[in-house]
Amino acid sequence: PVLFAVLEARIQQLQSDVVLDVQHSKVQFVKAHKSERGASSGRNPKINSGERTEVPTSGKIVGKVAGQTGKGKDDSPSKSRWLKKLNEEKTKTKKLKKKLGFEDIPVKSKKGQQMLPGTSHKIISTKAAEADALELAKVEELERKLKQWAVSVSPEHVKDNGEARAYEDVQRRVHCYLEACVFSGDIDRAGHFLLSHHRRVSRRKLLNIESYNIMMRVWAKMVSSAFTVVAFGLALCKHSAGLKPNLSSYCAALECMGRTPNCPPRFINRVLQQIQWDGLSVDELFRHCVFRQDERDMVLKAIHTLKPDFQPSIKPILHTCSSPLVKDIYTEVGHPTSNEYSRPILQSVLWRLDRNETESHATSIRDLLAEQRKVWHKTLVKALRESKAIMASSTQKVVRFSLYPYLCLMDEKEYADIMIQSLANLPPSGESLHILAKQLGVRVHNKFCILMKEQNQMVDKLNNIYNEYVELLSKDNKVLNVLPREQWQTLEAKHMSGPSLLGDECHWPHAVVLELGTYLVDLMVKHMKVNSDILNSAYNRKIIPVLYHMYTFRSNRQVGFIKPHPILTQIQQDAMETTLTFDSYVMPMLCPPVPWASAKFGAYLLTPTKLMRAVLGANQHEIQLEKCQEEELHPVLDSLTQLGNTAWRINQPLLDVIISIFNGKGSEKLDVPPPLSEAPRIPRYNQQELATYTSAEKAQLKREVINAKKKCGEMHSLRMDALYKLSIANHMRDEVFWFPHNMDFRGRTYPCPPYFNHLGSDVTRAVLVFAEGKALGPGGLDWLKIHLVNLTGLKKRSSLAGRLEYANTIMDDIMDSADNPLNGKKWWQNADEPWQALACCMEITNAIRSPDPTQFISHFPVHQDGSCNGLQHYAALGRDVIGATSVNLMPCDVPQDVYSVVAQQVEGFRVRDAEKALKVAQVLEGFINRKVVKQTVMTVVYGVTRYGGRLQIEKRLKEIDNFPKEYVWDASHYLVQQVFTSLKEMFTGTREIQDWLTESARLISKSGHTVEWVTPLGLPVIQPYHRPRTQLVRDLSLQISHDSKQRPDTVKQKNAFPPNFIHSLDSTHMMLTALYCYSAGLTFVSVHDCFWTHAITVDTMNKVCREQFVALHSQPILQELSNFLLQKYCSVPP
Amino acid sequence: MPLHPSPMSSQTVRQLVLAVRYVCCRSQARHAGRQLASSCSPGVPLQRRAYSLDSLSSGPGRPQPQQARIEKMSPSSSLTHRNLSAVAVSVQGQCEPLCRYDFLDLGEVEENTRRAQACRTIKRFIVEPALARLVTHHLVPDLEDSKAVIFECNPGPGVLTRTLLNAGAQRVVALESEKLFLPHLQALENLVDGQLEVVHCDFCKLDPVGKGSMKPPAMYSDKLFTDLGISEANWTDEVPVKVLGILPQSSERSRLWKMLYSLFERISIYRYGRIELNLFISENEYLKLTAKPGDMLNYRAFGVLWQMACHIELLHKEPWDSFVTSSKNKLAIPKSRLPNNNLCLVRMTPRRDLFSSSLTSSNAPTLILMIKQLLAKRKARLADLLNLWSPDSGPLLLKEIGMPEDVLTGNVYPEEYKQLFDLVDTSPDFTQSWLYQEILENPMKDGWS
Repeated sequence: PVLFAVLEARIQQLQSDVVLDVQHSKVQFVKAHKSERGASSGRNPKINSGERTEVPTSGKIVGKVAGQTGKGKDDSPSKSRWLKKLNEEKTKTKKLKKKLGFEDIPVKSKKGQQMLPGTSHKIISTKAAEADALELAKVEELERKLKQWAVSVSPEHVKDNGEARAYEDVQRRVHCYLEACVFSGDIDRAGHFLLSHHRRVSRRKLLNIESYNIMMRVWAKMVSSAFTVVAFGLALCKHSAGLKPNLSSYCAALECMGRTPNCPPRFINRVLQQIQWDGLSVDELFRHCVFRQDERDMVLKAIHTLKPDFQPSIKPILHTCSSPLVKDIYTEVGHPTSNEYSRPILQSVLWRLDRNETESHATSIRDLLAEQRKVWHKTLVKALRESKAIMASSTQKVVRFSLYPYLCLMDEKEYADIMIQSLANLPPSGESLHILAKQLGVRVHNKFCILMKEQNQMVDKLNNIYNEYVELLSKDNKVLNVLPREQWQTLEAKHMSGPSLLGDECHWPHAVVLELGTYLVDLMVKHMKVNSDILNSAYNRKIIPVLYHMYTFRSNRQVGFIKPHPILTQIQQDAMETTLTFDSYVMPMLCPPVPWASAKFGAYLLTPTKLMRAVLGANQHEIQLEKCQEEELHPVLDSLTQLGNTAWRINQPLLDVIISIFNGKGSEKLDVPPPLSEAPRIPRYNQQELATYTSAEKAQLKREVINAKKKCGEMHSLRMDALYKLSIANHMRDEVFWFPHNMDFRGRTYPCPPYFNHLGSDVTRAVLVFAEGKALGPGGLDWLKIHLVNLTGLKKRSSLAGRLEYANTIMDDIMDSADNPLNGKKWWQNADEPWQALACCMEITNAIRSPDPTQFISHFPVHQDGSCNGLQHYAALGRDVIGATSVNLMPCDVPQDVYSVVAQQVEGFRVRDAEKALKVAQVLEGFINRKVVKQTVMTVVYGVTRYGGRLQIEKRLKEIDNFPKEYVWDASHYLVQQVFTSLKEMFTGTREIQDWLTESARLISKSGHTVEWVTPLGLPVIQPYHRPRTQLVRDLSLQISHDSKQRPDTVKQKNAFPPNFIHSLDSTHMMLTALYCYSAGLTFVSVHDCFWTHAITVDTMNKVCREQFVALHSQPILQELSNFLLQKYCSVPP
Repeated sequence: MPLHPSPMSSQTVRQLVLAVRYVCCRSQARHAGRQLASSCSPGVPLQRRAYSLDSLSSGPGRPQPQQARIEKMSPSSSLTHRNLSAVAVSVQGQCEPLCRYDFLDLGEVEENTRRAQACRTIKRFIVEPALARLVTHHLVPDLEDSKAVIFECNPGPGVLTRTLLNAGAQRVVALESEKLFLPHLQALENLVDGQLEVVHCDFCKLDPVGKGSMKPPAMYSDKLFTDLGISEANWTDEVPVKVLGILPQSSERSRLWKMLYSLFERISIYRYGRIELNLFISENEYLKLTAKPGDMLNYRAFGVLWQMACHIELLHKEPWDSFVTSSKNKLAIPKSRLPNNNLCLVRMTPRRDLFSSSLTSSNAPTLILMIKQLLAKRKARLADLLNLWSPDSGPLLLKEIGMPEDVLTGNVYPEEYKQLFDLVDTSPDFTQSWLYQEILENPMKDGWS
C-alpha cells in the first residue's frame, strides 16, 4: 500500500506539472526544468488534462518490479491489492504486460540515476542508445518529472544551524510519529505523512534526514517494490529537501540491493562510490549504524556481490581516556575482579531473566476488586476500540499529528491493563492530571520500547551475550584483566551478525507522552462507572463515575485534578493489601545489570534507561553526551557499572521485626508510619449546628477540618510509601538483587529503582546487606563497633579509639538489643538511626558469639561519612587552612566537627549581643547547640539562602519544647545571620571562590549562554535552567523551563552554579574512589558522600578515598575551569 | 456596563451639583493663594480633567439612595468654614496656628514627588493636586454628612489626605505602611482637630496567614477596628467604612481574592459590615472583574463572585503616568490581551441583599468552590457538571430555574448562579454528595485569613 501512496502522491504532483510539453531529449529537459520553476511554483491546481502519459510510466514500474522478481504472484497480498487498485484506475494494463519483457534495463538505469543524481545525465544518454525508443521516452519522462518536481519544490533549502535547532523538537516528534506508524504496521499513514510534509516547503523543514531514513528502511523491506522506492527516497531527500544522505540512508539503499535478487553490481558500486565521495566509509557504516532484524546480513550480502571477501573491521582505533586521574586504571595490566558471585546465586537468577522485564511484578496476591476491574477492563477496551475507529476514519489523510498510531502500538487490552493498574496507585485525595498523564504515557512508552526490541529480534541475541557476560563475571576468583564494560564490548564484537543491541528508538517528546496520557485519563474518567449501591444497598442505584476531573487552585493557577469517588477509595481500602503491581523497572534487578557500554546502552536489559537523568523533555544533556568522545566517558561509565554491580540481600531478621511493627500500629518514633486507623478523626458537623457557633468558633472548626484532612493525606502517603518498600523487600526476601545506577546532570549517582534502594530512609538502609560476605579479619569487629557508635549520633567529638572504648562499655545494651529488640531495654531505639543501629547490634552479637570473630563472615556494610563534604571541597580548592582543619582535612588527634565550631562561634556572638541587651540574644541563652545550626551549615555550601536557612532553624527551634514560641521567628532570623557571619569568617577562600563562580555564571548567562563545564573526569555538565515557556498540551498548560531555545534564567544559572560545581567535584571524587576500589578488589557503594564497604576493607577504602581526594585536588581544577570558560565563552581571550 | 436609566431631572441636578462643586474647588484653589497655583505643575494637561469629568457624567449611574442624598445635600457648614478660612489664611499668612476649619496647604509638587520617591518599596502615589481633587470629587457627595469613616491606604506624602480634609471629610483614617511617611502624617494629625487619625498599618496585609511576628505594619483587623472604636455592624446597615487606595500592582489579583473570601465569609474587615472599597486597580483587572457572560476568555469565577457580591462601579480612569512611582525605573505595566492603559478607580459596594437567601457566611465557601469548579471550563455544559455532583439532577435543576438544558457555564449570569446555589443548597441530593463536602484545599497562600 505504501508504494501506491507514494506513487499516487507523485502522480498528483506530476499532474500539476503536466501542462508542460513532454520533452524527449536530454538537453531539452535540462533547460525545461529551469524555465519551469515559475510555472510549477505557481501551482496549477488539478489540471485534469487528458494526458495519460504518466500513467503508463507509473504503472510500468510495477510491471517491471513484478517481472524483475519473477514471481508476481508471490507478492504480498497488500501489494497485489495495490496492483489491482492501480490497474482499475488506469486502463492500460494490457499494454503494460506486453512490455514487461524488455523493460528491465532502462528502468534500472533510471534507478541508478536517481540514486546518484549527480551522474544521472550521462547514464541516461548511454542507456538511451541501447533501449527501445518508446520505453526510453517513458523512462526519461518519469525521470524528468521527478527532477522537475524535485527542483521546483525546493527553491530555498539552505539550513543553517540556528534554524535547524529551532525545529529540533518538531523533528523529534516527526521521527517518533513515523516510528510509531511503522511499528504498528501503518506504513500507508507514515508514507502519506512524510510525503505530504515533503510536498510543502513550509512543512518540509520539519523533516530531517532521519525521517527519510525511517521510510527508506521500510521501503527497502518491501522486497518487490523496494528498489525503486528506496532509490526514489534517496533522490527525494538529497535533491529536493537539500539534506545530505547519511550512513543510515546508504545503509538502507544497500540493504534493499541486498534483498533484490540478482542486483546488478554496478548499482551497488555506485552507492559505495557515493559513500566515499561523501567522506564516509563502509567500516563506519558497520560501526555506527543500528541494524534491526536481518538488516546487517542484507547489507553485507549487497557488498559481497561486489567484494566477495569483504569483512567489516570491528575494532575501532583504541583511544584511552585522557584524564590524568584515571591513567592508572586504564594502563594497568590486570585487575582482580571484585565480584565473586558464587555460581548458585547466579543460576537462580538466570532463568528469570527474560520475562522478568516484560511483565510487571505482582507482590502478594489477594483479590477483591477483581470483579469490578474486569468490568472496567472490558468497558475500557470497548471504548478505546470505538474511539480508535473514529480516529482511524477521520485522520487517515490528515497531515497533522494524530494520536492514532500511538494507540495502535499494542493490543487494546494492554492499554486497558495499564489504565487499570494506574487506578490502583491513585491516592484517595486524588492526583494532578499532569502527573497521572505522565505516568500513563511513560508506561506506554516503556512497553513500546520493549516490544520494539522484540520486533527487531534483538532479544535473543541480547540474551545470548548477556548469558555469556554473566558467566564471565561469575568466574570465581579468577583474575581477569578486563573491566565489565570491556568484557561486554568484546562479547558484542564476537556476536557481530544479527541486529544491533543498541536501540535507536527515539525518546518520545514530553508533549507526546502527556498527550497520550491525558487521552487515556480522559477515557478512564468518561467510561469507568460503578453502581452507587455497591457497598450499601440502601442507596438508590445510580450509575456514577469512579473518577472525577476537578480543579484545585494554587495561587491563581488552576490545576486539573483527578479524584476518585469515595466509594472507590472505600473499596480499595477495604480490599487493602490485595495486590501491589509494580512496573518491572521499579523493582531491583534479579540479575546483574548490563554494563554501561555507551551513553545510550546499559542498566536494564530491555527497559530504556537514560544515562543522565533529566527533567522530562530536556534533551540538551543527551546531545552533550553524544557529542563527547566515547572514550572520554569511559571512567564515568565504568564507575556507574561498578556501583550497579554490587549485589544485595535482605537482612531477614530485621525485616521481620519491622514488618511486625508495621502490621501492628506502626511507630512514628521509629519511622514506621502508622496505618490510617490511627489518624485523627475528621470533625463532622451539620449546617444547623454550625449556625449556632460564633464566627471565631466556625473558623476554628474549619481549621481543624483542614488540618485533619491534611494529616490524613500525609499519613496515607507515608504509609503507602512504606508499604511499597516493605513489600518489595519482602518479595525479595530470599533473592540476590542488584540496583542499576545512573546519574543526574551533575554526575551524582542514583540507583534506578525509585522506592526501594540503599539511598532510602533508615528503615530501607537497615534491611539491606551485601550479598557477598567477607570474613571480619583482625580489625573488622572494631569497625563494626565504631560504626554502631556513629549510628547512635553520640560521641561526635571523640576519637575513633574513644568511640570504640565507648562501644565496649555498652556491650550489654548492644547484646540485649539484638536479643530482645522489642521487649528488652530498647537501647537501640534512642539512636539517631535506630534501625541501622539495631541491625549493627545483631551483627556484632553474632560475630562475638561465633567461635572465631575474625573468621566470622559478615555481609554488613560499614559506612564512612564525609564530614561536610561540600565544605571539604571548598576548603581544598581554596587551600583554606582553618576551614580545612575544621572539616578534618588536616590530621588531628580528635575528629573535628565543623558544626560544633560554628555553634561555638555563634554562641560567642550571642553572648556579646546579650550584653548589649539585645532581647533575642538573651532569650536564646542555652539553646544554641550543634543540632540547631547543623543543617544550615551543611546546606550553605549548596547555596541555601537566608530565607531557607531561617526556615531550617525555625524548624529546629520549634522542636525544642521549652523554647518560647513567640520568639521563634525573631530568634531564627537572628541565628541565621550569625551562622552566615561565622562561616564567612571561617572559610575565607570559600567565599571568594563562591563569589567568583557566581559572578562568572551571571556574566555567561547575561550573554545568553547556559553555563557548561567539564568535570575533571571528563563528564560534560550543562545547567538546564531556562526562562519558562508555556506550552499547551490538550488541556494542560505546562511551564517548561528546560527548553534550550529559551534564554537562560540568569538568577537560577547564577545561584545554582557554585553548588552544582561542588556537586560535580563531589561526584568526581566518588567515581574515582569507586574505580580504584574496584581495582583494589573491594565492594564499594556510595550514598553521595557516604561510602560503604565490608568491615574488613574499611581501612583500604579510607586510604583510597584519601588518595583520590588528594589526587583530585592536585589537579589545577579552578585554573582548568577558568580556561574552559574563557575558551567557550570569550571569543577573544583577554 | 448598562446605564441605569435615571430620571432626567436627578441626572441634571447631579451634574449641576458636581459642576458647582468643581468650580467651587477650583475657585478655592485660586483663592488659596500662590502656593497652590504654582503647585499645579505645568506638565499636567488640564484637558484630561475635562475628559474625566465627561467620563463621570456619562459613567455608570449611582445607586438610587445615594443619588437622593446628593440632591438633598447643601454645602455644609464645615466646608464653608474651611473655605472662608482658606481665604483668611491667604490674607493673614502662615504664622497663625491652624484651627479646625483652616484650609490645608497641599505642598509643592516637586517636594511631594521627592518624598514619595524616597519610599523603598515600590508603590504608586497621588501627588498632583488636580488628581487628588478629582478623586476626592468622587467621594465628595457623601463626605460631609455621611457617618462613614474613610480609610485612606498608603497616603504617602499626604496630598490626597489633605484634599479630603479640605473637601470636608468628617473622619479620615490614614493607614500608612511605610515608617518613612509617618512623622509627616502625624504632624498633620496634630494640626487638624480630630478629623484625621494615622495608623501604622498595611491595609493589604491585614490578618496575615503566615506565622511571622506580628509587628506593625502587619495587623489583625479586630485590633485596628477596636482601636478606632468601630464596632461590628449588621450586614444590612449603612456602609460604615469606605476604603480608598491603590492596590499594589504585583499582587492585585491575590489581594482581591483575599478580600472576596473575607467578604463571603464575613470575616476580617467584613465583620464590621458592608465595607465599601474605592480602589485604583489596573484596567485589565477591572475588565476581568466586570466581564460579562459569553466572554469565554475573561468571564471567570473571579468576576462572577465579585459581581455576585458587590455593586461594581467605574468612577474614573487615569493614565498610568499620572501617578508617581517610588522606584527609579518606571514600573513595567503588565502586558495583557485586554486594554491596560489606565488605572481605574473602581467602587465595590457589597450588596445589601447578598445574605438574604440561603447563602450564609458558613456555606459561602461551598459556593465559592462550586463557582470555581463550574467556571474552570466556560465551554462545558452546566448540566453535565451538576450531574457530577449528583447524578441525573442537572437537567431538573436547570428546568426549575428556567434555563435551557444545554447552557454553557460561561453563559450564565452571576445572579443565576446565586439562584442555582439556593436550589442546590436546599436539595438533599446535593448536600449528601461528597463533592458538596469538599473543602477548598489549596486556597491561595494568602487567600484565607
